[in-house]
Amino acid sequence: MSRQVLVVSGLGKSFGALQAISDLHFHVEDGEIVGLIGPNGAGKTTAINLISGRLKPDTGMVRLEDKVVTGFSTNSLVQRGLVRTFQSTAVYPERSVWSNVLRGAFAEIYKGFWPALVNTGAQKRRRDAAIVHVETILDELGLQDVRDVPAQQLPYGRQKTLGLAIAIASRPRVILLDEPAAGLSAEEVDRVADVIRRINSRGVSVVVVDHNMRFISGLCRRVVVLHHGRELCTGKPAEIAANPQVIEAYLGTVNEPA
Amino acid sequence: MTARPAMTAAAADNRGSRFSASHMSAVAVIVVMAAWPGAIASSESFLLYVGTLVVLYSVGAMSLHLVFRMGQVSFAHAAFLGIGGYTSALLLTGSGLSWPLAFCASGLVSGLFGLLLGPIVLRLRGVYFVLFTFILCEFAERVFTDWGSLTNGAGGVAGIPAPPAFSSPVSFYYLCLGVAVLCALICRGVLKSDVGEAIDAIRTSESLAESNGVPVFRIKVAIFAISCLLVGFQGALQASFVHYISPASYTFDESLRFVVMNVIGGMNSLWGPVLGSVFIIALPELLRNWVEYQWVLYGVVLVLAMRYLPGGLYELGERASALLRKGGA
Repeated sequence: MSRQVLVVSGLGKSFGALQAISDLHFHVEDGEIVGLIGPNGAGKTTAINLISGRLKPDTGMVRLEDKVVTGFSTNSLVQRGLVRTFQSTAVYPERSVWSNVLRGAFAEIYKGFWPALVNTGAQKRRRDAAIVHVETILDELGLQDVRDVPAQQLPYGRQKTLGLAIAIASRPRVILLDEPAAGLSAEEVDRVADVIRRINSRGVSVVVVDHNMRFISGLCRRVVVLHHGRELCTGKPAEIAANPQVIEAYLGTVNEPA
Repeated sequence: MTARPAMTAAAADNRGSRFSASHMSAVAVIVVMAAWPGAIASSESFLLYVGTLVVLYSVGAMSLHLVFRMGQVSFAHAAFLGIGGYTSALLLTGSGLSWPLAFCASGLVSGLFGLLLGPIVLRLRGVYFVLFTFILCEFAERVFTDWGSLTNGAGGVAGIPAPPAFSSPVSFYYLCLGVAVLCALICRGVLKSDVGEAIDAIRTSESLAESNGVPVFRIKVAIFAISCLLVGFQGALQASFVHYISPASYTFDESLRFVVMNVIGGMNSLWGPVLGSVFIIALPELLRNWVEYQWVLYGVVLVLAMRYLPGGLYELGERASALLRKGGA
């Protein structure tokens, strides 16, 4: 069995009387793409927020590689190799594609306030290295032709790709993708899936949150289904699709096409 | 901003017109400001007084610009101006400390207060941040008034000396100009560095910046403290310029003035607060010939500028240079 890069165990969070997530367990193996699905309100985004440090969990533990990182701040998790993307497109709209991706590499460049402020030699070397890395990302993700275009002028689908490019610029070990295919046409969905596979082939483990079952089953070999903030079941996409509990969760509660 | 005599004109052209244009404007402004006393010293001490005020206020306005660039509008700058002013005034009149030491202390104490208060106020965003900094400003004024044993209350502190080497109005002007240039270099250094890049990312989206590995909160606190440190220096210089301070010198009006300087001057460039302080300080003074309409005219110009120049006075320069380029091409 290969190494587990991300382990989530017993994670719980409530907002007042609402138990958004309770006793969530799952893990991601090195080089794996894991899907996290569930009907609206199942707690998928909350789970991402808890793991990525945006929210502090009430209970449970998150382990990244060999280190327990529960409750760490988002930026320190990025420094340790765990990056997340956002449901809506999250880019710096006025900046060029190139400088957007360079900003994604900020964790690689920034190792303290004073070196950054006075621009030390080490700071310059780190920036130069990041600039080289940005070029390879632009090549791999097919963004070279729009490198100087302000992000806000890109079509929606390519902004999503740019979001992914920003996320991998800091050389993460694990990325958490919050609905990378939301709002895209079928053709664009295939393209994003392709980009995610390419990212994965660089050795990045991926957690994909979505409720587009076709998208998820094309991408992941293992899927975790969330329902009412709990893990309903885990398995191969085909098993999940046939599981009566999952069908009930999707069709019995919300009219959400699976 | 430093002159580079070794650089040939051709090399300067190669560096991109925008960059060298900015350098040239900086040099031009410094030359004009440096020649200011020479041009007017013979006749008009009033103009020298206005010039000194403009240079002084540009320090505080540029320092506030750093906070603006993070996307936050602070109304607490008068409080930190006051902390700097009182620190140097009390040290100079009370303990007889030498002027340079009192000057350094004023910046450090103000910066320290920024470092202590920053973590509290910077947890707030948008209108809540604005309101809280407003309260902070009012609170500081009350402390200056009510802590009579230290600050002499509403009576203020009188007889604040100017530095012995800079006691003449012209030399004091040059001292202020030197501090302002230094302040501009510091602010520019911050904005051009990777910290400046982080500031820009924070303004666009704090959550995206955070997820790109920017330690958002720490950087905000650090920049806030640097901003307070710089305005503290203005406080010290201003106290020695006027030789007298009181709580009335540090009211909400002062905070508002710094904010308006930034808004009217332009928020996207360090030139904004410089232009803003020229405009806000010099305009009402120069309108004194029409004293009964002074504030009416001032108000009209302010409203017009805000209506037609959302990017501030800086935008006017940008538009003019764009027109010139078009005409030249």
